[in-house]
Amino acid sequence: MCALSAMTLEQGLTQLGSIVGQEHASLCDGRIVAAPGDIRQVAEVLRFAQASGLSVMPSGGGTKLNWGNLVAPGIELSMKRIHALREHAWQDMTCTVDAGLTWTAMQAELAHHGQMVALDPLWPERATVGGIVAANDSGALRLKFGGLRDLIIGMTIVLADGTIAKSGGKVVKNVAGYDLHKLMTGSFGTLGVIAAVNFRLHPVEEHARNWTVTGRDAAIADAAVFAEPLHALMDSQMVPSCVQVRTSKQECALDIRIAAVPECLEENAERIQSIFAQFAVAESDDAVWQARQRLFDMTDAILLKVSALPGELCSLSAELQRWGAAEGADIATAAQATGLMTIALDAAPDAAIALVTHLRKSIAACGGSAVALQLPNALRDKLDVWGMDPGSLPLMREIKRRFDPGRTLNPGRFVGKI
Amino acid sequence: MTADQIAELRAAVGDDGLITGKSQLQTYECDGLTNFRVLPGAVVLPSTAQQVQAVVRLCARHKIPFVSRGSGTGLSGGALPAAGGIVISLTRMNRILEVDIPNRFVVAEPGVINTHVTQRVASRGYFYAPDPSSQSVCTIGGNVAENSGGAHCLKYGFTVTHVLALEVVLPSGELVQLGSPTLDAPGYDLAGVFVGSEGTLGVATKVTLRIVKRPEVIQTLLAAFDSVQAAAQTVSDIIAAGMLPSALEIMDTLAIQAAEAAVHAHYPVCNGLLLVELDGPCSEVDALMREVRAICSNNGAWEIRVAQSEQERALVWKGRKAAFAAVGRISPNYIVQDGVIPRTALPHLLTEIDRMASAEGLRVANVFHAGDGNLHPLVLYDRSIAGQEEKALDLSYRILRLCVDNGGSITGEHGVGKEKQEALGYMFSEPDLATMQLVRCAFDPESIANPDKVFPRPRLCAEKPGPYTPHPLETAGVAEIF
Repeated sequence: MCALSAMTLEQGLTQLGSIVGQEHASLCDGRIVAAPGDIRQVAEVLRFAQASGLSVMPSGGGTKLNWGNLVAPGIELSMKRIHALREHAWQDMTCTVDAGLTWTAMQAELAHHGQMVALDPLWPERATVGGIVAANDSGALRLKFGGLRDLIIGMTIVLADGTIAKSGGKVVKNVAGYDLHKLMTGSFGTLGVIAAVNFRLHPVEEHARNWTVTGRDAAIADAAVFAEPLHALMDSQMVPSCVQVRTSKQECALDIRIAAVPECLEENAERIQSIFAQFAVAESDDAVWQARQRLFDMTDAILLKVSALPGELCSLSAELQRWGAAEGADIATAAQATGLMTIALDAAPDAAIALVTHLRKSIAACGGSAVALQLPNALRDKLDVWGMDPGSLPLMREIKRRFDPGRTLNPGRFVGKI
Repeated sequence: MTADQIAELRAAVGDDGLITGKSQLQTYECDGLTNFRVLPGAVVLPSTAQQVQAVVRLCARHKIPFVSRGSGTGLSGGALPAAGGIVISLTRMNRILEVDIPNRFVVAEPGVINTHVTQRVASRGYFYAPDPSSQSVCTIGGNVAENSGGAHCLKYGFTVTHVLALEVVLPSGELVQLGSPTLDAPGYDLAGVFVGSEGTLGVATKVTLRIVKRPEVIQTLLAAFDSVQAAAQTVSDIIAAGMLPSALEIMDTLAIQAAEAAVHAHYPVCNGLLLVELDGPCSEVDALMREVRAICSNNGAWEIRVAQSEQERALVWKGRKAAFAAVGRISPNYIVQDGVIPRTALPHLLTEIDRMASAEGLRVANVFHAGDGNLHPLVLYDRSIAGQEEKALDLSYRILRLCVDNGGSITGEHGVGKEKQEALGYMFSEPDLATMQLVRCAFDPESIANPDKVFPRPRLCAEKPGPYTPHPLETAGVAEIF
């Protein structure tokens, strides 16, 4: 579909330039990059693409373009020029933001009134709201505040045929109509282009402390020792914002973050000391929550997003390290107490494939999954990025067919080559 | 329905699972919105997902509309039968199948009563958070259909926040799993879309629910104000102070009178009663409650009480949750509405509703989830007075439009159902609705699952959006819009 059968690349560039302005259309890597300035131009670009038989890859900061199956689009639709914080109703604790705004820029604006979207995605300085939502990224704060599906209250989207549609609204509580924004969240731009998002907001956590639990006398060799105290922590009446278990060849640690009114933080510290009495507990700084993002610095590694039952995180982390030691592989993990883990796996190709296949089988029984976010090109033919097809795949295909019958948007990128 | 179809239903669910007698069918002719009534062709009471499948397959084969329902407590006519269609009552599927404390979820059948989930896990220190006022009788399946909320969703979120996975019988009769007990299952978030779809996308036969650790302490405060507006301002100030109470409720004079008459909740007699509930670790709740008291006093609260025991707290909530029904004690008839507005618009909206009601010579009692701007204006009227019911209906719809005009929604938790179909067209534009229809048609191309609900005008799946044009099948006389 990306082949420009009916027109040359230059002709397409001229046409798109007439929509978005010639200075906002260019050629790059054999595709036309078009950056519309408003939602109407987005709709026009999509209508043009559909009429011309060109496929479209929406983009933002470009931080996650290699997630999912690779696509070779005719047009890269860059949303970066559409980047306003349209509304911040701070007294109602809601905001409406354009898809092209970076996460950090949005949070900086919201912070003027002591508020935030309670989510800590990857590469927030570069990643945009639309891209983060399309990829359904989330970090350690998800434990306390939920994921994007819990924070998004409305959305404006543009369908492949140029239809501009809204769902939800600007109020937190709303059950009118179908929640299209839930369908769009995590759909990797295969159903429509996210143009603007309405979020519910939370107060910035003003008084928070972090603690890191490690071995008292020697480094902890097996993350399974954290299983019991972690369960005790989660079963307690403390309300941590984030909890993660980190493992690598060198270290194994557990991090906890709690935000509370200042006079209560000391009490929390005592409770944590009591639960982890057999370990060394030390205060740590916010940098520990960069652990997930740092794993992506292993550029040659396979990066997996694994979703498992929360109660299995410690044993799974331990099992992975044992496997790494046995196979001579370098494995590092950052597991959130929600059950979401990021795993960096640097191993010989055959061993890596064997591990991912085994991992997928072992966690499938309880509904778990392992999606390869970063995969060396040499392995893309040998390992499905998404893992096993969900049982509801035919229904998902039908939804795609209804939303984008011409397969204009990111064709083949999603689960089951949707 | 034909005799053959009835025989097929009997084969699917057995003799004791089929109702066809008129007097028994009348039990199912409406839900909690009793002014809409339709007699179904048959009611089935399946005990298993396979029986549900068999019934739905029959419906798909013969293009018979079906409506699934639980206890029928819905307030928007969502469970109103389709004329000549089948009602699938799921109340016999009422088992809790699995409790997993380490992973904090429960697997329940759709007919399980909301409070029974909490009862099952309470001894382990957990609870199921969504708490619609009807929670002692309403079912999980109904909660899923309506994306039910309740007073505590301000802090804990709605049903959709707590649904991890669903087993669903699609309108084709196929059984599918949506979502997973683990987060972010690869693929579209179909469970997220299904919750709140009001029975129009299929029948949930199994629901995996997230459970929450019970907080260390819960404190409930009542503050009496001279006006609802002052109570509303207090709510805004509490939120602006960075607090997230588990509940913030307001009742006005009429609602207080009604609740008092019904359950003797010992509320202070005032024009605006604010209920604030905080929960969490003891020391934190103590510190925040001091702040809440100060904010209430600054806004002119002349009486502030904190419930001193679990019994007192229960009584406070009993009055609040009984408020709708209690209004029946001060008015022969009433209409409950469910509009939502941005919190800051509350004082203005309440003044405006008061003005509109006075102009019509009607009374409106106000009970609302103030923290999230979810109003429940109760329009009181007397059906025996000629023309008053029409006036009351008109006023209640105008209140919904006022909510939309102020940036809000026509429904916060009751659903659109039969009652607010036209209002949905006021809130969303034609392209918005046409896009929602794409989802509907992917799940239910024949429009047999709870047809003629939610959307302003029924539409067949092959129709193009835009001005109404008859569907080719309609013109050919082989299909009709129902």
